[in-house]
Amino acid sequence: MSVLAGKELRIVGFLCNWCSYGGADTAGVARATQPTDLRIVRVPCSGRIDPLFILRALLHGADGVLVSGCHPGDCHYAEGNYYARRRLEILKQFLPVLGIDPRRFEYTWISASEGQRWQLAVTKFTQQIHELGAAPAFENAEKLIQIADMALTALRPLGTGQHAALADLKKAIVEKLPELDCVIGWQQSYDAAHSAPLFMRKPEDVEKLVWGPLNVNNLATYLPQYKGKKVGIVVKGCDSRSVTQLLQEGLINRDDVVVFSMPCEGTLDMARINQALGAYQHIDKVAYDEAGVSITADGKEHRFCMVEYAQGKCYSCATPGAVLADVRLGTPTPVTGTPATPPELALLDSMSLSERFAFWHTQMERCIRCYACRNACPMCVCRDYCVAESRDPHWLTQEDTATEKFFFQTIHALHLAGRCTGCGECQRACPVGIPILALRQQIARAVAQTFEGYRPGMNAKATPPLMGFTVEENNIKEKDWNK
Amino acid sequence: MRIGVFICHCGSNIGGTVDCAKVAALAATFPDVVYATDPMYTCAEPGQAAIEEAIKNYQLDGVVVASCSPRMHEPTFRRTVERAGLNRYMFEMANIREHVSWIGKDIEANTNKAAELVKMAVAKLRNNKALHAASFDVNKKVLVIGGGVAGIQAALDCAEGGIPVVLVEREATIGGKMAKLDKTFPTVDCSACILGPKMVDVAQSPNITTYAYSEIESISGYVGNFTVTIRKKTTYVDWSKCTGCGACTEKCPSKKTPDAFNEVTGLTTAITIAFPQAIPKKAVINAQHCKKLLTGKCGVCAKTCPTGAINYEMKDELVTETVGAIVAATGYDLVDWTQYEQYGGGRYPDVITSLQYERLLSASGPTGGHIVRPSDGKEPKNVVFIQCVGSRDRSIGRPYCSGFCCMYTAKQAVLTKDHMPDSQSYVFYMDIRANGKLYDEFQRRAVEEYGTEYIRGRVSKIYPDGKGHLIVKGADTLLGQAVEVEADLVVLAVGVEAAKGAARLAEKLRISYDSYGFFMESHVKLKPVETNTAGVYLAGVCQGVKDIPASVAQGSAAAAKVLSLFSKDKLQSDPQISQVDIKRCIACGKCVQTCPFGAIELFDFRGQQKARVIETVCQGCGLCTATCPQGAIQLAHFTDNQILAEVDALCQC
Repeated sequence: MSVLAGKELRIVGFLCNWCSYGGADTAGVARATQPTDLRIVRVPCSGRIDPLFILRALLHGADGVLVSGCHPGDCHYAEGNYYARRRLEILKQFLPVLGIDPRRFEYTWISASEGQRWQLAVTKFTQQIHELGAAPAFENAEKLIQIADMALTALRPLGTGQHAALADLKKAIVEKLPELDCVIGWQQSYDAAHSAPLFMRKPEDVEKLVWGPLNVNNLATYLPQYKGKKVGIVVKGCDSRSVTQLLQEGLINRDDVVVFSMPCEGTLDMARINQALGAYQHIDKVAYDEAGVSITADGKEHRFCMVEYAQGKCYSCATPGAVLADVRLGTPTPVTGTPATPPELALLDSMSLSERFAFWHTQMERCIRCYACRNACPMCVCRDYCVAESRDPHWLTQEDTATEKFFFQTIHALHLAGRCTGCGECQRACPVGIPILALRQQIARAVAQTFEGYRPGMNAKATPPLMGFTVEENNIKEKDWNK
Repeated sequence: MRIGVFICHCGSNIGGTVDCAKVAALAATFPDVVYATDPMYTCAEPGQAAIEEAIKNYQLDGVVVASCSPRMHEPTFRRTVERAGLNRYMFEMANIREHVSWIGKDIEANTNKAAELVKMAVAKLRNNKALHAASFDVNKKVLVIGGGVAGIQAALDCAEGGIPVVLVEREATIGGKMAKLDKTFPTVDCSACILGPKMVDVAQSPNITTYAYSEIESISGYVGNFTVTIRKKTTYVDWSKCTGCGACTEKCPSKKTPDAFNEVTGLTTAITIAFPQAIPKKAVINAQHCKKLLTGKCGVCAKTCPTGAINYEMKDELVTETVGAIVAATGYDLVDWTQYEQYGGGRYPDVITSLQYERLLSASGPTGGHIVRPSDGKEPKNVVFIQCVGSRDRSIGRPYCSGFCCMYTAKQAVLTKDHMPDSQSYVFYMDIRANGKLYDEFQRRAVEEYGTEYIRGRVSKIYPDGKGHLIVKGADTLLGQAVEVEADLVVLAVGVEAAKGAARLAEKLRISYDSYGFFMESHVKLKPVETNTAGVYLAGVCQGVKDIPASVAQGSAAAAKVLSLFSKDKLQSDPQISQVDIKRCIACGKCVQTCPFGAIELFDFRGQQKARVIETVCQGCGLCTATCPQGAIQLAHFTDNQILAEVDALCQC
């Protein structure tokens, strides 16, 4: 059945049973005339509303979504709406990076006695959606290919870590090794132009340890599966934030982990390096200097300057040194300047809403749904129980549509809200090079703006913002329907 | 699945603006729908019988009724399908009355919307599962919060029914506002004479434990099993020793303590017993005025007390009680009338509230029942009453009628004439609302027999004339002219609002309250005593404005609800609670961290940590379900799949 052509738009309402659904009933009892576009889904509490229901609706044809719960302080379940307020606010700030107009989603608080307020909210919201018109369909978005400009000024000099105290690190690991099941570091991979994780169990394994801009893997990803065992881990600054975040969530025990750290001078964007190297038979030579690395493949030398070929996240990195470490070697270079927007996010920022929609549609058509982004993510702790492959709950179909693939990315991003440390492993692992980190970066920016500069992975003792609330929120403003 | 759909006309309520037959025809095309019809009154006896019949005839295993709000009739229809052998949760409702037919007149749009709401309900029902309630024991003991006449009545009726009662009263004595009244309308009975015996009954009932001068600190648990912490506020008098002899109050040197019981119309001592008939009749020290507590020098009461009950070192004490049901009867307070600058804003001593006037009229009041002006102690001759002060006034955010002011003003006018036969009373009023039994007759007597001058109009200004009188300037809207009355005393019929702290208590009780702080009943007409929290009932003005007979009736009604709840030995728990899929749980503990009720715990399952829900503690909010990233904890009846089905039914069409 189709919506009345030209007259109605598709508006979905999620209302809590106790206050707002009652408020809508009160409006009905008072015969308070309202536009007919809105259809209400009744839920017990606004806290029950997974922001993903709203995204699902918006990506699948809804022109607008309105959520309403009990007024803060008046939740039938005491606290549900306090949590909802934070989650819904972050969702609202997330929508623009997807290319969805944030005005298509509003949340409000209406009590069971406020029939008139409900009438006002529905009327104003329906007007707002009609002013925006029918929502564009993701599947119909035009093609748009754009590439992020990585040439940013870094907050600190980028380098190749040639003066790092690798020998001291090896010595420290050998010393600690007897009391540990293993220590995780990096070794040379299939050739000298790539590195891979190294699991050191014996002193001779330690000899294979390497340090440099090719050490791209975030080894914290391995830690949860070693829970209960004593492990050491070598970290860059960004990796240490993942360790901290895992500690905060109780996914690893502090006493079981020994963290070795050296100051990071930046890592290379392997997607662009591999692209530049092209297909080759043999790596002849890899030579480092202070400013970059020269790779000779099949007799041809390629020069990669760190300032040009670093991973996007390295330019805006303010934590080159580990935020927590048991064995700390070397001193990190001080970070100067104010953090800039990371290049992937800056690219999205430079586009209009419709361009972003088109951009993501183009990118998602390339997605092969391999889930490497998820598997590389240190915070994706659901592992084998990811909702992407579940039928109960059945969030995703197996349809090969850009919408379904994009919805998965929004699921991943929202599940990481307030947890993602921006390590960028999702994007690095993507075999087709989709800049999906931008989605996580937008949420991180929203979380920082809304919750007093909160950055995940800095303090294992902090309460993650979306797992808590304050009765009065300083940076969340209630929708004023009278405006 | 075989689904039957019933599109109710609700007479013309729905049928008038929704083409119900068309909705039924469309519904018949929805997946799994094998039967669709459009009865005239689905909730009526024949309507319900038709559902039962259809379930049998068409072997239905799920039913959708599209009619009024599920907040109204969901329980009704759940019972219907249960009678026909279905599980009560194999039923869904589409609200096509409050959310469709009553809010728009466009039949085409309404019909379309109704059909889509039915489509959503069908989609959800296809994902429903039969749920089975567990049963649990009931602690047959009730907590009554508030010892005014409503709370007293509820406590007495429960005690009479054999139920142990815990009565908590914020003030030092039970009795509430009624204990402060001199006489009651329309019979002009002495208030203390009719309330007093009930208070004594409370004291003497072996089933009632009274905590006076105490407040509710916290409440946890659920219907049948609440745990209540009560804060016994510091009285500085050991009540187990105090005999209420009053020797201390005679000797106390701090004789300039404002008398709260007398609404500050007089002074009392720092150690005091509220009034002669107080229950419990125990002394309390007012710490703000006690010389011993303020300066450390005095101790006269301790020396005087024959039983050695005075204890200056006393601290608040917390007591825990477990109960199975709660009656909230917290009453009201007066609106702060001093915001009315035109009435002097509290600057003129001879402008007083009606409750203060009650204390002046009362034989146990500060003047022994002699009406005198607070300013000079002289008897007034002209008394002006102003009604609707803080009632029916949108400008101060109090748009509602306080209900009983018209009647007590008439009573006070009658009593004024009784006390001072040569006095003259004037009443400025907006409308007279005298709709109770014998009320209108009584109000007429005030006019016809007692010569009270009723002036229909508002007062614009009160000011002193400098000769000891107050000039009351107003309008007589019936005559269409300005009036001026020279008054010796002005009595304001101050409106009521919810008792101070009502909102805080509501949050502890997890019940709703409106913007004025009055507690919300479950249904404004059909469930005026119940709240939306099972096991919590309302009595008296805390739910909305009402006079003494209505408060007493609601107190009895609340008691009846408690007694009927306690007539069962076991209660059925709501199976709409969260369940953990133990395979999917990775024990990240996010649900444990966010659950507002502490209803989720981690436990060791074959060597692995897993989460589990404590069934009797879970309230069914679903916050955990929205928190769990892998969807391992699902709120029954509102699972991800059920809500997704509704969203998809709506969006992918």
